[in-house]
Amino acid sequence: MSGLWARLRTFSVWQLILFVSLLALGFLITAQVRSETPRVQYTTQERQPLIAAVTDLQNAQDGLQTQILALRTQIQAAETSSEGSDQLVRQLNNQLLSNRIAAGLVALEGPGVALQLDDSVAPPAGSGAATDYLVSGEDVRAVVEQLWLAGAEAVSVNDERVVPSTAVIDIGGSILVNSAYLVGPYQVKAIGPADLYQNLAKAKGWVDFVQARATKFGIRISIASPPSLVIPAYAGSVSLRYARPVEATPAPSAGTSGPATSP
Amino acid sequence: MRANVRNQLSVAIVALILGVLVVAQARGQAGGSGLQDRSAQDLTLLVANLNTRNDQLRTEVADLQRQLATLQSAQSHGVTSAGQVRSDLMRVRTWMGLEAAEGAGIRVVVRGPVPASAIGALVNELRNGGAEAMSVGGVRLVASTVVSGDVGSLAVEGVALSDPVEIVAVGNAPALTGTLTRAGGIVAQVQATWANVTVEVVPLTKASVPATNHNLAPVDAKARP
Repeated sequence: MSGLWARLRTFSVWQLILFVSLLALGFLITAQVRSETPRVQYTTQERQPLIAAVTDLQNAQDGLQTQILALRTQIQAAETSSEGSDQLVRQLNNQLLSNRIAAGLVALEGPGVALQLDDSVAPPAGSGAATDYLVSGEDVRAVVEQLWLAGAEAVSVNDERVVPSTAVIDIGGSILVNSAYLVGPYQVKAIGPADLYQNLAKAKGWVDFVQARATKFGIRISIASPPSLVIPAYAGSVSLRYARPVEATPAPSAGTSGPATSP
Repeated sequence: MRANVRNQLSVAIVALILGVLVVAQARGQAGGSGLQDRSAQDLTLLVANLNTRNDQLRTEVADLQRQLATLQSAQSHGVTSAGQVRSDLMRVRTWMGLEAAEGAGIRVVVRGPVPASAIGALVNELRNGGAEAMSVGGVRLVASTVVSGDVGSLAVEGVALSDPVEIVAVGNAPALTGTLTRAGGIVAQVQATWANVTVEVVPLTKASVPATNHNLAPVDAKARP
């Protein structure tokens, strides 16, 4: 031990600095190489303004979504503030609230299933294209559909709530849900009955999906069944420009269809 | 003396490389959005999609601000807000599928041995194109509706789908038609993938879709306060 110490003392300061620097250099080179994803790297200069534009638009979108949720809360508060004096308004407000919950406009909490889909780390083999080893919009849609079939009551993808107008699309290697740009790994959450996980696991469609994507192309699928998870509210547009109700009869019962009664 | 300068130079060069790598790594981490991997063409499409979505969100914000102002004005004048609440209720119920709906739109007729995934892809594209209400085989689509089954025995919400499968969508007819039928679009993809399947798109001045029979009220999920 004392021999090693004596030997170390023979090194000059600059040699030690060089040693530490080269050590750090090695770590950094390794980190840099590892951070290169299997997806193709492009180096053209014109992309930088486009990347900045996407980032700015995504930030603007986040701000607009926050604004929408805040306005809906304010409207709900304003609508309910007069309920004490008006029986009809109170009744309508109760129906509106239960319909908003059923529509996906309110955050929900409950037991369910959380799945994560991630690109394969396996190098592309002989069969299939390189994109087969990446998670696609079609994969996300397939998982969401299997969760609905298994009995899910509410589903989200990377915290984008799945509602009647939700589309999941691919643009190049990106996935958009509700037109929001999502980054993998993709987390799909679902709230549902106690046997949601069992229903999913034994479904033929799910088994086929796992075999086709995980077994064949190495798409990484992890699954958990937490006792409670939160699915956020939909923060997009519910405006209708073309569709109008066929029978404009108000005051229907909550959460179900059927003729409504006029007050 | 010369050895000393050489040593200092060595340290300086290593420090320089180290600095460059630290910056590169930091930028790489900051750009964890995956955007660095995208081509200029993909990024342009992404910008277009985000612009469209943000325009829709701005319209929604304006609508909600107007709605709030009307409510507050009515309340300040001592007027009941029943009309406003009722209107809001019908809009939400129509949007979510609990009310039958009609308006301009299109009909998509799919003939031949079509798989469920192709119908799902067409529906997904119609949603992306801005369809406001849809039905498949006369069954209203809600968030949880899935077309399932093997080719030749498709079903939706327990209702068997026979050939041809008809999708009705309420929305901007020219925009929906354009979304489906553009070169390399979903209609071309479906017809190219399944040779015996044909897809016809018909604009309608009045498209009608029924209300869902689904009870959409959650049982296991509770509203988060």
